[in-house]
Amino acid sequence: MAEETTTNHSSTNSSSGKVLLEVRDLAVEFRTDDGIYKAVRGVNFDLRAGETLGIVGESGSGKSVTNLAMLGLIPQPPGKITSGSAMYAGKDLLKMSDKELSKIRGNRIAMIFQDPMTTLNPFLTIDEQLTEVTRKHLGLSYNEALDRAIEMLEKVGIPGAKRRVFNYPHEFSGGMRQRVVIAMALSCDPEILIADEPTTALDVTIQAQILELMQKLQEEHNTAIVMITHDLGVIANMANDVLVMYAGRKVEQAKVHDLFADPRHPYTLGLLNSIPRIDEEVGAKLSPVSGQPPEMSQPIPGCSFYPRCPYHIEQCLQIDPPLIQVDSGTQHACLRDVTALDPPVSQSAHI
Amino acid sequence: MDSLEKNDPYAAALPPIDKYRDMYNEAKSIRGISLWQDAWRRLRRDWVSMTALCFLICLALAAIFTPLLPLQSPREQYLATRVALPPQFSSTTKTTNEAGDDETVPVSLNLADLEGEEFERRVGELWSEPSPFDRVLLSVRLALFHDWCMPSLCGTDLLGRDLMARLFYGARVSLIVGLVATLVSLIIGVSYGAIAGYSGGIVDDFMMRIVDIMYSVPFIFLVLFVITILSEDSVKAQLESYGISRIVILYILIGAVYWLTMARVVRGQIISLKNEQFVDAARTIGASGLRIVFLHLVPNVLSIVIVYLTLTIPAVMLFEAFLSFLGLGVEPPDVSWGMLSEEGTRVITPVKIYWWLIVFPALALASTLYSLNFLGDGLRDALDPRMKNR
Amino acid sequence: MIRFLLKRLMWMVITMWVVFTISFYLMWTVSPEGALLSERQLPAAIKRNLEQYYDLDKPLTTRYFKVMGNYLMLNPGPSMKLIDKSVFEILKEGLPISVSLGVLGLSFALLIGFGTGIVSALRRQSLIDVSFRMIATLGIAIPNFVLAGFAIIIFVFTLNWFPAGGWGRPIDLVLPSLCLAAPFAAYISRLTRTGMLEVLGQDYIRTAYAKGLMPTTVVLKHAFRGAILPVVSYLGPATAGILTGSLVLERIFFIPGLGSHFIEAVLQKDHPVSLAVVMVYTFVLFSMNTLVDLSYGLIDPRVKLDK
Repeated sequence: MAEETTTNHSSTNSSSGKVLLEVRDLAVEFRTDDGIYKAVRGVNFDLRAGETLGIVGESGSGKSVTNLAMLGLIPQPPGKITSGSAMYAGKDLLKMSDKELSKIRGNRIAMIFQDPMTTLNPFLTIDEQLTEVTRKHLGLSYNEALDRAIEMLEKVGIPGAKRRVFNYPHEFSGGMRQRVVIAMALSCDPEILIADEPTTALDVTIQAQILELMQKLQEEHNTAIVMITHDLGVIANMANDVLVMYAGRKVEQAKVHDLFADPRHPYTLGLLNSIPRIDEEVGAKLSPVSGQPPEMSQPIPGCSFYPRCPYHIEQCLQIDPPLIQVDSGTQHACLRDVTALDPPVSQSAHI
Repeated sequence: MDSLEKNDPYAAALPPIDKYRDMYNEAKSIRGISLWQDAWRRLRRDWVSMTALCFLICLALAAIFTPLLPLQSPREQYLATRVALPPQFSSTTKTTNEAGDDETVPVSLNLADLEGEEFERRVGELWSEPSPFDRVLLSVRLALFHDWCMPSLCGTDLLGRDLMARLFYGARVSLIVGLVATLVSLIIGVSYGAIAGYSGGIVDDFMMRIVDIMYSVPFIFLVLFVITILSEDSVKAQLESYGISRIVILYILIGAVYWLTMARVVRGQIISLKNEQFVDAARTIGASGLRIVFLHLVPNVLSIVIVYLTLTIPAVMLFEAFLSFLGLGVEPPDVSWGMLSEEGTRVITPVKIYWWLIVFPALALASTLYSLNFLGDGLRDALDPRMKNR
Repeated sequence: MIRFLLKRLMWMVITMWVVFTISFYLMWTVSPEGALLSERQLPAAIKRNLEQYYDLDKPLTTRYFKVMGNYLMLNPGPSMKLIDKSVFEILKEGLPISVSLGVLGLSFALLIGFGTGIVSALRRQSLIDVSFRMIATLGIAIPNFVLAGFAIIIFVFTLNWFPAGGWGRPIDLVLPSLCLAAPFAAYISRLTRTGMLEVLGQDYIRTAYAKGLMPTTVVLKHAFRGAILPVVSYLGPATAGILTGSLVLERIFFIPGLGSHFIEAVLQKDHPVSLAVVMVYTFVLFSMNTLVDLSYGLIDPRVKLDK
């Protein structure tokens, strides 16, 4: 509700791609034993063809839930989408029936999940899992689908794809499995690919390979990617636009360069301070964002970042800051202009 | 000291002692919640389990203090006047007196006027040979209620015996059989599983191979066989000369059938626990293998054992019922629920349905086993919240 | 696979030999006269003849090896009670009846258990789930002879849906096998529900939905296999339970199956018959356990059989 800024303005700043997905005011809550847990509290964003939107935030900030909710993948109950819309090709994904939605899932919008060890069904061979997507959405016969599956596996760099397509998931290594997952996600040439921490569970070297692969495939097919991660390195590499989430809200959105060069929200600032930088002197201290995110089953007075914010003023407790757009196109939800303030000392002082 | 402190490069980095003291005090003010307290808190919120628990506690109390209740005799037969009465709400008997008139007399223990040896004989008729504990309860009952008895709320059987009294006295036998036999299976299963799991290697392989094989042995048939043999009068007499009654054999045999799964479960748990640091710690201070197993490891698998226990008792009670059905369970004058159910099913004929004879014993068994099952589920959820609603 | 089966075969021989030895010595040492015990009034000469006929006059160890030899030739010898009948004939009469009862019971149990378990898991915490679970617990909490009693009162005497007693028509098998199946159906339903809920929470189910599959496909193709693993491993104990249960139901419904013969034989000390039935049951149980392990390996590709 607090986010009333128009997004038309930001579109003039970004590059040409056509808007594929418009998410407005999305809110999701979970009913648990301990009360109602407001996981997402009004999130807006646009996704353009051929672009990558990065979503950053710590665990529980609602970044995964936002995307699962769009595709109707939140178990209901306990989950419930309380408001919002997600317009895709002129239709609201959130209002579609299961049947309509299942025609889009895996076909026009595909998803890659975090842990490749658990996202593939251990009881079925790879060919079964790969061909069922194309058979369902593209209406291929098994043989055509198998050819397509082998083609996709070769494309994502699985050696001996013709033979290995008949293996079970447990016969692949973690990195190889993630390639299979990517092949599966891309086998219907989706317009949008949602990648939920696709590299978190992988070795660093494999991470780089997977990211490179995703970039290559994006260029080939002009796919729009939503990259959910808590790794700012991945964001710097992949994203055009970045959206920072905190406690279920969007607290900052910016071009990737602006976010790193000119962060406007104290939380973003904190995130940037907490990663090691190569240009810093040896021995310089890393300062993590201290404290814990708020208990989201309780009502939060004012700004949700208030208790952890080194810049906080009394006013922050009274209103939940609305999104403000600055000249560069960056939107941020903070009452104060952090660029004009001295870096605080209090934050690292009591650690 | 001073110079040492000055030269110590870490001195500045060391937090002052006050800080530790504060931390200690803070820690002291937070009371830890043990696994059991936590489980109990969760269990208390689960009304199904609590109802089951309350029911079981009431049942156990009722079984222990049965002689205190103004029930009719569980074994006295009224072949002429009270055969197969449906549930009654007044404690009277309709008879025909010597003059040929119908009359209604109250049901009575007929103990009031008796004394000395006659009294003893009558007590024997009514309750066979009560134990000293039961005698105390009986005398309290006689003082309170004299000869008065409750009506036959559950009807009477084909020999004119009061079903409700038989159900109450049957509860004692059924519960005891369930508990003791389960205890036997527990002792065998836990020791076997714990030793196999802790030993590991060849010993473990060998012991578990034996269990695997035993799974393929139709034990129940062997048990039937053994029990029939033990029911022979000559064998029974010989056993009794050793001081072993048939029911003890029954406990041991039933327990011996039901330990296999317990052994497997415990072994699995022990294997996952034995590489924990507290076991290494115990080993470094020189604790012996057996001590580690039974003092350090077994208490840690207690939660799963208790859950399994609540599921073994029903199985054992059903097995007792099964034996009773084949006429191999407890023997008269003892009664058990299995025996009563069996009597109930035996009199099912197309001509007349004595529904109360099957409904009430079945109700008693089912409500008890139901409660045990629900309590088991609740305990599992309480001890392992991750398994909730599964 | 072959190696696994050979290994299992070896263990089966060992198991059966152990069971055979224990049963044999147990029977004959505790009641050495067998069924002849109850016929004390026989004239001494006839009794001696009978003893000779059954080799009772020979030492136990000699008989042990002789009987073992006979068993290896699949010839369990004559019955002691039903004179003129060989044990083999008794088995031939009883076994098909018991097998059809058992197979039918197990099929009912699986069918009902899977169906209700899956519905319960999908409609979790709904009225239908709660009532299924209540009924299932009831199935576990009532002895099956009591259940059979109720079934007879309700379906035979009151509703007249099934014929009373009698044996030979296929309809006569339905009620007994339903009663036989009840506790196992209940247990399988619970296991299926648990397994299904566990699997439905897995990441790969979310992947399946994200691929755009319909819920039916997801449940039947992706979830079912993983969900029934606990049920499969329960089939071994279930078989043992069904064998026991058939003892009871054959008696209640007057079915002349193997169970009835066994009870008779045990009560009358007809040792050759009891021994043969125990051996048959051991064989059935062992085969079933092997089958379970085998199908476990087929369902879950991660399981290696050679153990």
